[in-house]
Amino acid sequence: MFENEHDFQRLVKGLKLDDQPNPAHRERLRGQMLQAFAQAGGQRVGCVSRTIPAPAQGGAWYAPYRLAVAATVLVVATVGIWALVGRGPVTLRQVRLATQKAAWLYAVVSRYQGPEVRTERHWYDFAAQKGYAVLDDGGVVGWDYGGDAKKLLYSPRVKALMISDLSNPGAGGDSTENLMCVFAVFAARDDVKGAAAQYDGKTVRSFEIEKAESGLNIDGKAVRLLKATMMADPRTRRLLAAGIEYQGSDGGVLVREGWTMSYPPSGPASVYDLGVPTMVARIDGRRQRIGTPSAEPMPIPTPAPTGSFRLAPVEIRLPRPMFAGTPEDARLPNLERPRSGPRPPFLAPVGTTNVALGKPVSSGEEPVIGSLEAITDGDKEAAEGSFVELSPGPQFVTIDLQERCEIDAVVVWHYHRWPRAYVDVVVQVSDDPAFQTAVKTIFNNDTDNSLGLGAGGDLSYVETYEGKLIEGKGAQGRYVRLFSNGNTRDDLNHYIEVEVYGRPL
Amino acid sequence: MVAIMAKPVEQTAYDELVVLAKTQAGALGKLYELYYDRIFRFCAHRLFNRTTAEDVTSSVFLTVARTMRDFKGRTEQDFRSWIYTIAANQANAHIRKTVRRKRLLRNALGHREAEEEASAAAWSRLDWPTLYAAIQELKPEHQTILTLRFFENMDYDEIGRVVDARPATVRVILHRTLRRLQEVLQGDLGGEA
Repeated sequence: MFENEHDFQRLVKGLKLDDQPNPAHRERLRGQMLQAFAQAGGQRVGCVSRTIPAPAQGGAWYAPYRLAVAATVLVVATVGIWALVGRGPVTLRQVRLATQKAAWLYAVVSRYQGPEVRTERHWYDFAAQKGYAVLDDGGVVGWDYGGDAKKLLYSPRVKALMISDLSNPGAGGDSTENLMCVFAVFAARDDVKGAAAQYDGKTVRSFEIEKAESGLNIDGKAVRLLKATMMADPRTRRLLAAGIEYQGSDGGVLVREGWTMSYPPSGPASVYDLGVPTMVARIDGRRQRIGTPSAEPMPIPTPAPTGSFRLAPVEIRLPRPMFAGTPEDARLPNLERPRSGPRPPFLAPVGTTNVALGKPVSSGEEPVIGSLEAITDGDKEAAEGSFVELSPGPQFVTIDLQERCEIDAVVVWHYHRWPRAYVDVVVQVSDDPAFQTAVKTIFNNDTDNSLGLGAGGDLSYVETYEGKLIEGKGAQGRYVRLFSNGNTRDDLNHYIEVEVYGRPL
Repeated sequence: MVAIMAKPVEQTAYDELVVLAKTQAGALGKLYELYYDRIFRFCAHRLFNRTTAEDVTSSVFLTVARTMRDFKGRTEQDFRSWIYTIAANQANAHIRKTVRRKRLLRNALGHREAEEEASAAAWSRLDWPTLYAAIQELKPEHQTILTLRFFENMDYDEIGRVVDARPATVRVILHRTLRRLQEVLQGDLGGEA
């Protein structure tokens, strides 16, 4: 009947439409409209100049009422001021102390250097003065600022655990390598007072700190300034997030880091809980050990059996690769450089599974092609019939996990048949199906805030058969929502599969 | 040369009218005369029912009257996009909230016989009620774009300004909307396209 717009236009022109205006309605509405226009203008003037008329009757009632209102306002204001003065503004010292009182702090650190991004996961036990990190390449670091003052570094490439002396945090060398260093580096700025700021849709206290740096080089360029923005929960006073910039001598940003914190009840007891093989070779490089009579490295204590916390590689089954390369039309300025090799195994607490498998999916608009069930059906192949196409422009899908879960990672395959990058990708977790309250954003590359969810600093990426693994950043919730706004090839939005790795709470 | 010059001059006059209409009732009255028919027809195409279209048209112009002083645009094109946006939103809101939508559909479909033959001849009997009933199966935003394109003869740029979307996006939506409409009509008429 109609193969194209032209055909349809002809069809419409041939229709008999009852769309002739009624002159009577036109005249009636004209009068109503001009009256409304005049009234709107009158109200505007009245708003500016109107005074509250004195009541014609009941003046005796009116005056005490006003006095009561005034007294109430005065009492409330006094209490408010007392509370404000009594508690005083939050300082960075208070934030640091509150943060260090937590049993465990878990931080996901994204380190951006040009088109490259490296992600690390850190755990801190401040009481024991120990910290641990799993690096982007599968390496593991342990910092012990206690009596031993040692650093352990496991390299999966070398398959060895290197033990070295650990300098005092903040004494140089380590810079902002870990949060203990960060606190030490900025200890002199403990009196910095926070200001109100918005973070992830919440009002937080933000602390702006700068420190001149010397002796630190990144790719041969000297770092002159460390600039940190620390954001804390005004209620708990614990750190929620931090942004750190390493600025060069010309003021340019050499590296920037984004830290996202959460506070789990448990953490690793040793590096062996983070995937280091127990039988791995140990190389002790500490100064006092070199040249000892035995010339043998002292073995580190056998790792103690740990409780419930232990990380193990998560098995993520991958579909067949469909292409290799970069997008033909890479218009995105913040495109992440593709990884040269396969993605390292993702480590998560033992018992972590894909909690999204087979779970219901909803969307803002009905899909144009396919059904939403395909997004969680476990089929990740980029074949015809395996994907869902949503309308052009901003679109979202929501996965209902049907119970609260602790989320370690979200892996998303938009469409990996062709090299393309999806635009304005945002991933959020919440307990609210409407995503109005308690929303945690775990990924956001909407740099210009096109979606109105806040500008994000994550990089755009090219779709591959490996999917995009997004760190859960300690998020907990029942619903996972993914936004996108077209891709570099067209304005459409696609999903092949979304996996959510986590554990029911 | 005159023909080339005429449009900008006329356009300027309309632009001045829009600016004056923010403060002068007479200028607003002229704008009303310019737009009443267009907005009514748009509402009639979106809502099918004449009385409903008049109600929504009234609502649109009363909204314009109340908010004209705060209107930030300065050109006739700005005003056109603005008033069509109001009309589209109010028509969509009406469709969404009213329980009469299903009644409208039933009325529209009531024009047809219950048992239509599944044949190519059915397409030749495609009338406005049938087409409207099929359009109602689309998403309201897609209905808006379809109406603006084929009943108001707007180009992609102008539709994009009304629905706050890029012209390329409008083109893609329209393409898919037509495809979907054809599927609905095939289902209704039982024929092949």
